[in-house]
Amino acid sequence: MHEPGNSTSDVLLWRSGAPLTRREFLHDAAGIAARLPPGSHLLNLCEQRESFLLTFAASLLARRTQLMPSARGEIALRELRSAYPDNLSVTDDDVRRWRTAPYGGDRTADLAGNLSPDPGDTVLVGFTSGTTGRAQPHAKRWRALSRNAALDAAAIRRALTVSEDVPVSIVGTVPPHHMYGIEFTVLLPLFGNMSLHGERPLFPADVAEVLAEPAPPRVLVSTPLHLRALADSSVEFPGIDLIVSATAPLDPALARVIESRLRAPLLEIFGSTETGAFASRRTVRGQEWRLYGGVTLETAADSTRVSAEWFDGPQRLQDVLEQRGPGGFVLLGRDADLVEVAGKRASLADIARRICAVNGVVDAVAFQPEAAASGVASRVAAVVVSRGASARQIAEQLAASVDAAFLPRPLVLVDRIPRDPVGKISRAQLLELTRGRAAGD
Amino acid sequence: MNPTQSPLERDVAAMIVSTLNLETVAPEQIDPGAPLFGTGLGLDSIDALELALEISKRYGFQLRSDDEDNRRIFASLTNLTAHIEKNRVK
Repeated sequence: MHEPGNSTSDVLLWRSGAPLTRREFLHDAAGIAARLPPGSHLLNLCEQRESFLLTFAASLLARRTQLMPSARGEIALRELRSAYPDNLSVTDDDVRRWRTAPYGGDRTADLAGNLSPDPGDTVLVGFTSGTTGRAQPHAKRWRALSRNAALDAAAIRRALTVSEDVPVSIVGTVPPHHMYGIEFTVLLPLFGNMSLHGERPLFPADVAEVLAEPAPPRVLVSTPLHLRALADSSVEFPGIDLIVSATAPLDPALARVIESRLRAPLLEIFGSTETGAFASRRTVRGQEWRLYGGVTLETAADSTRVSAEWFDGPQRLQDVLEQRGPGGFVLLGRDADLVEVAGKRASLADIARRICAVNGVVDAVAFQPEAAASGVASRVAAVVVSRGASARQIAEQLAASVDAAFLPRPLVLVDRIPRDPVGKISRAQLLELTRGRAAGD
Repeated sequence: MNPTQSPLERDVAAMIVSTLNLETVAPEQIDPGAPLFGTGLGLDSIDALELALEISKRYGFQLRSDDEDNRRIFASLTNLTAHIEKNRVK
């Protein structure tokens, strides 16, 4: 809890004990930076927010490039290590060990300035899973990340109607290691005059308890899936000043339910690994998104080019957007191949390819049925033609190469995949196959 | 019917399968002592969230992950059932 005598603007991280001040944090990050073994890349595998944030800051101070894989399965990490041979993995245990060793240097005054690399430096590399299964790297320069953070901070403060000098507290349910998590639970605390709660609460009762601890105004950073669970629960939530949602579009009706249950306005963020966040909307007010200042769109029938002067060049997204006047757009369709579950992204084609790689499987299709009733995209489902392998054997083998969030459920065995004469697969028929199976159980 | 599952374990197993759409698993196939998460049934945090909601609706209490026994509670069907038995208010 926060000490009455301590200015909340000094707090960087809220914890169950005394909060960690910015000064203490920078001192510890500098100690870790000084102990990093030589190399140019760094793989931040910390699970705890506190050690993740310290490692992130240490990497900035040491001018390293951090690798942020979208999946952390054994196979994904092995592929990454072979592509970046000099990378160094940092875990919670490393941070704990390095922090307890005494560090003499105390140049905290200089450190705050040293935290910002040169605008052209590649600070991190994010990855998206391509249809081929090879992770596509996306290099992020400091120029882009720092602008993202400034624009996100401005969007939050505008929604809260507070000025730049007001400290804001963030509680996040999302992991820190994808672009949404990095922007809202790492960059905002480090560069946006905001503080972060060190916990990542899961169950509704945990979220309520953690939210009560930091000083207001409090922002809850979450996902449609998690917010729906919070709204569904019977838990009473303490004062929340703003809810931020991203990773999948939120249904306006569900947004209204969430706003009334959690008694706070909901700001939805639109972005991608390639671009970072670039638009926002008050979902209850309508479908239209507002672009962040300085971002422009060129829309095409099957994709969209997003430009901003801080990007290396225009970024092509598979999402189909339609412009609405200057600075506005509506989303007509998301990239049908990309799925997001709980802040993780995967390619449906890649999942299908991995199912086909299982011994005995001859054909497979992965797809994401909408959960119309809840307004939240559901898990991935799959229809599989197998000669010998049971659904259970397929699921067990897949678990080695596919993140648990994307293991198909249901995974239905069929005699043949319903393809039309030109090879297209009818979504309606896929839905019928999986629904029939669930009902028949 | 699995003779090694107690009556409440059978109810909890059926709840897990129906809540999480585990159509490749029959409730009576769940080994009461086998891990539910990671290996074993391969459940993850989204599943834990779904289960927590269903447990609060059916048995009237809230799960917490800061509970020191959390790992133990989700370690197996037997442990989860014992936790429900101890905390249920309906």
